[in-house]
Amino acid sequence: MNGPDVVWYLCVAAFLFCTGALGVLIRRSPLIVLLSLEIMLNGSNLALIAFARHHGREDGQIFALAVMAVAASEVVVGLGLIVAMARRRLDLDVDKLRTLRG
Amino acid sequence: MIAAAWICLFAPLGAAIAITLLGQRLTRRGAGYLATTSVGMSFVAALVSFAGLLGDSPSQRYHPSTLWRWLTAGPYDFGMRITVDPLSAFMMLVVAGVGFLIVWYSIGYMDGDDEERRYFAYMALFVFSMLLLVQSGNLLLLLAGWGLVGLSSYLLIGFWHERPSAIAAAKKAFVMNAVGDATMALALFLLIQRTRSLDFEKVFPQAPAFGGWAANLIALGLLGGAVAKSAQLPLQTWLPDAMEGPTPVSALIHAATMVTAGVYLIVRTHTLFEAAPRVEELAAGLGAATLLLAGLIALVQTDIKRVIAYSTMSQIGYMFLGVGLGAYANGMFHLMTHAFFKALLFMAAGIVIHALAGEQDMRRMGGLRQFLPRTYWAFMVGALALAGVPPFAGFFSKDSILAAALAHGWYGQLLWVVGMVGTFLTGLYTFRMLFMAFWGEPSAFVREHFHALNRDVVGVSLAVPVGVLTVLAALGGWLQFADVWTPVSNWLEPVAPALVEASGLQEAASSAIAVVLGIAGIGVAWWIYGARRAEAPRSLPLLEHKFYFDELYDALFYRPAVFLANALLKWVERPLVFGSVRELAGAIRELGLETRSIQTGLVRTYALAIAASVAVATLVFVVVR
Amino acid sequence: MHWLTTALILLPVGGALAIWILPLQSFAVGSTALLVALAEVGLWIDSVARFDFSKPGLQLDQRTSWFSDLHVSYHVGLYGFSLWLVGMTVVVMAAAIAYAFWAGRDRPRAYYGLMLLLTGALVGVFAAQDLLLFYVFWEAMLIPLYVLVGVWGGAGRLRATLVFVIYTMAGSLLMLASIIVLGISQGTFDLVGSGTNGSDWIFLGFVAAFAVKAPLFPLHAWLPEAYRESSPEVAAVLSGVVSKAAAYGFLRIAISKFPGPTSDFRIPILVLAGCGLIYGSLLAFRAPDVRGVVAYSSLAQLGLITFGLFAVNDLGLNGAVLQMVNHGLISATLFLLAGGIERRAATGELARLGGMARGRPALATVLMTTGIIALAVPGSTAFAGEFAILAGVFRTGWAWAVVGGIAIVLAAMYMLRLISAVLHISPGPAVSDAALDLRPAELGFLVPLVACLLVLSAWPAAITDRSFGSSPSSAISEVLR
Repeated sequence: MNGPDVVWYLCVAAFLFCTGALGVLIRRSPLIVLLSLEIMLNGSNLALIAFARHHGREDGQIFALAVMAVAASEVVVGLGLIVAMARRRLDLDVDKLRTLRG
Repeated sequence: MIAAAWICLFAPLGAAIAITLLGQRLTRRGAGYLATTSVGMSFVAALVSFAGLLGDSPSQRYHPSTLWRWLTAGPYDFGMRITVDPLSAFMMLVVAGVGFLIVWYSIGYMDGDDEERRYFAYMALFVFSMLLLVQSGNLLLLLAGWGLVGLSSYLLIGFWHERPSAIAAAKKAFVMNAVGDATMALALFLLIQRTRSLDFEKVFPQAPAFGGWAANLIALGLLGGAVAKSAQLPLQTWLPDAMEGPTPVSALIHAATMVTAGVYLIVRTHTLFEAAPRVEELAAGLGAATLLLAGLIALVQTDIKRVIAYSTMSQIGYMFLGVGLGAYANGMFHLMTHAFFKALLFMAAGIVIHALAGEQDMRRMGGLRQFLPRTYWAFMVGALALAGVPPFAGFFSKDSILAAALAHGWYGQLLWVVGMVGTFLTGLYTFRMLFMAFWGEPSAFVREHFHALNRDVVGVSLAVPVGVLTVLAALGGWLQFADVWTPVSNWLEPVAPALVEASGLQEAASSAIAVVLGIAGIGVAWWIYGARRAEAPRSLPLLEHKFYFDELYDALFYRPAVFLANALLKWVERPLVFGSVRELAGAIRELGLETRSIQTGLVRTYALAIAASVAVATLVFVVVR
Repeated sequence: MHWLTTALILLPVGGALAIWILPLQSFAVGSTALLVALAEVGLWIDSVARFDFSKPGLQLDQRTSWFSDLHVSYHVGLYGFSLWLVGMTVVVMAAAIAYAFWAGRDRPRAYYGLMLLLTGALVGVFAAQDLLLFYVFWEAMLIPLYVLVGVWGGAGRLRATLVFVIYTMAGSLLMLASIIVLGISQGTFDLVGSGTNGSDWIFLGFVAAFAVKAPLFPLHAWLPEAYRESSPEVAAVLSGVVSKAAAYGFLRIAISKFPGPTSDFRIPILVLAGCGLIYGSLLAFRAPDVRGVVAYSSLAQLGLITFGLFAVNDLGLNGAVLQMVNHGLISATLFLLAGGIERRAATGELARLGGMARGRPALATVLMTTGIIALAVPGSTAFAGEFAILAGVFRTGWAWAVVGGIAIVLAAMYMLRLISAVLHISPGPAVSDAALDLRPAELGFLVPLVACLLVLSAWPAAITDRSFGSSPSSAISEVLR
């Protein structure tokens, strides 16, 4: 096939994944955390499709579709939570939301 | 003969059970008659056994009989076993005979008491226990009788259970006896280990084969029991307090029978003691020390019963001296005569106490000779017998012991000297008691409180036994006279052959000196208390406090036990009971608190944890692959 | 195949079910329970008649397979000594139910049902010859006890139950672990004919459970509260029977199946038993109430019984079995008497009692007799047991017998203190003339217990001669056959 080597796709995927992971760990706004989570998921999707192409099988693509469905549902729940928190005028700061501590 | 022996044993038990079960349906007097009859039956049965033994030749006078197996464990078998042999027949006659007289006397003495039935049940139980002790054919049953006798003593000393002093005395007697029981049990354990049996005919022949220390320990354990039961040094403090019980109890238990059980034990197990000669000598030494100690303390007592109690302690010291030196028959002979005159003294004192409405303090008495002439003469006979004046009973028996001591060697001669001093003291304190109570002018107290005893059943029951015992105290000694006429020694020879025999010269010399000392003691007592020619010297605090033994034991045993118990309660039990569960709960709570710190509530921490775990897992995966 | 043992287990259980299901009034409930208990005693007498005491092995046994792939079976049967323990159980339970019937208990259906269930479970413990079955009955014994102590107890009953539960469960779980390991390792859960095992850890698991239940010093923290707070008849059962289930466990399982570990751990266990003996006696001597004295004396007596068991010789084992029966009867009588005294004086504190002998001859006689037998006066059955135990343990070492000797003196001290504090000198502040003598109903359940003790005092060989067959020196190996 034409195009760059699978390796480059994997590098991009890894870069996306790490960026997303860093975002989840460092950022304080739940919205940005959710965004970073999406980036991670996209990174994983890219890796899956790259490998599907590499092995010549469609398993990875099907898996990627499933991941997209999960990501969509999870975003719905997450955004709903954030909107509910904003409505209650809570601080949208992950460090301040710790009522569920032991 | 065997059947008679079993009847002798169980008749009083039957009476005790019957009195308990019949309860209120039996009259008080009826309970007394029932008890007396049962003991009388025992005496008759004892006579039958004795007659049966007479018919045998001396070497065949040994008849064991087992009714049922009492305790078994594998090859060990301890049966309900009695033996009819010269020694047990001798003791059966003494116990049942004197017991019969005293229980009969009790009918009059305890008349009117609320709880007469209980008293007679206990007395019958006691006679059964004592007979079990002397008739038993193995050492375990002897120990059972030993303990039951201690139990009856506890029940009877504490008979008037509303008096704190009586209850305290009863408990003290029982606990001290329990110490003796424990040492005896230890001796028996050692014996079982050696001989696998406790039957007399299996144990005694093996005695010389025990090792040195085993034989000594066995004898020591038995001696511990004997010393506790017979109120000898060092376990003697319970006997004077035991006078809290009714006077017939003192007469029967604490003079004639129970306290002599120690002497019986030593004679019965003499082969075990002969295998441990040092211990046997220790027994004699303890007897000598006790007779001196008791004699000195008796000099300062003011309670008439306590004087007689200390005199008992002292006389048993003589018996221990005798059997400790191997003069078994002499010791037993003195046991018998002592039973007669001591019971007599107690019973006469009982009449005095009854007549004075319960007063026992001799300082308030005086001049009773005029009010109770017959009692006075009975008391006089008893006192003369006790002091060892011929021809009364004590002279023959006590002097035979002292003469045997003379024949034993340097140790015996040392003890002979002690015994002689004791003879002087005996005369002194006995007649001090007699003169203080009976001579002189009647005191104001006597004039006020004296009431004569009536002549009915009560009077008869008080008078006749005293009369019989007076005769026995006067003539009983004639049963054995030095080397010349020795039926007692001959009778007991097959069971307990004597180790020492005094020569005629030693007998004569010892007797003469003893009589002189005894009369000297009587003379001094007359000088001070009878004729009032001199003042009694002030008594030493040492004597008044009975050589401080009570205080010593209190400090040595009772207080430490209480202290230890309280300390354990505070330092071990409270923390254990309250603390242990609290500690456990606390520890679990701590663990929970530690674990709780993981739940920070921060999303970022959780995310970090997930990331870290994934990283580690990946690393492991890669490395392993 | 013999149904008698199963009948002994199931009769009280059936009685419990009948009480729970049938619509009876409270009086009828109590009398039914009492009748069932007495029928149980009758059934036991029948088994005694059928038992051949000269043969040492298991008798009256019955076995059906339960989990065949694990080799677990329903195997019940009786040896000589377990027959006597079952007898003591049914007699004490009958007396306890009679006491409850006389004293009256609220929620009678629950109460009597639980008591009968407890009876069945206790008989099951003594009769079970399969490890898992033993465990089932062991736990079945504890459940009614938790409820009985926790619901019908005194003021501090909740704490007492809690401590009791925690301790017992800990021990039971260790025992369960041991049972599982043992059963798997030897391939079968059956106790008869399955040989011995040398593992120390399995042994210790069993010992832990039994040491908590007996109790063995220092695992006795549950004892004072449980005995003080439960109602008198439950305390009687706890002290008289349940502790003997633990002692039986020592004998039947720990000692029989683990001869190696038994001799390895003999000295430490004897040390603990000896400590319990002296410690219990000393604390009984200073206990301020009737129940306290009896409770701590129970601790001491179980120490003595453990002495005898771990001496593992003829004298020790026979003495221990005799003493198990003795102490069951004695402590049951003492607790029932304590209950009677507490009802009359509204307190059990010795400082407030006294002088109860005046005008109350029956109470005085019964208390005096029981107390004197309890302190093992020579001539009594308790003395026979104690003597045999100490003679047996003397062969292991003379020091143990000396400890026993000290305990003899201490027992005299604390028992006489109890008797005098209740009966003698002047009436205490809590004793009034309204406190009557023992009623005929009370005599009805106390006198049989005392009568048993007196018969045994005259004839202890009734038990010692008939516990281990005719050749008890080989008893332990026979027990495994």
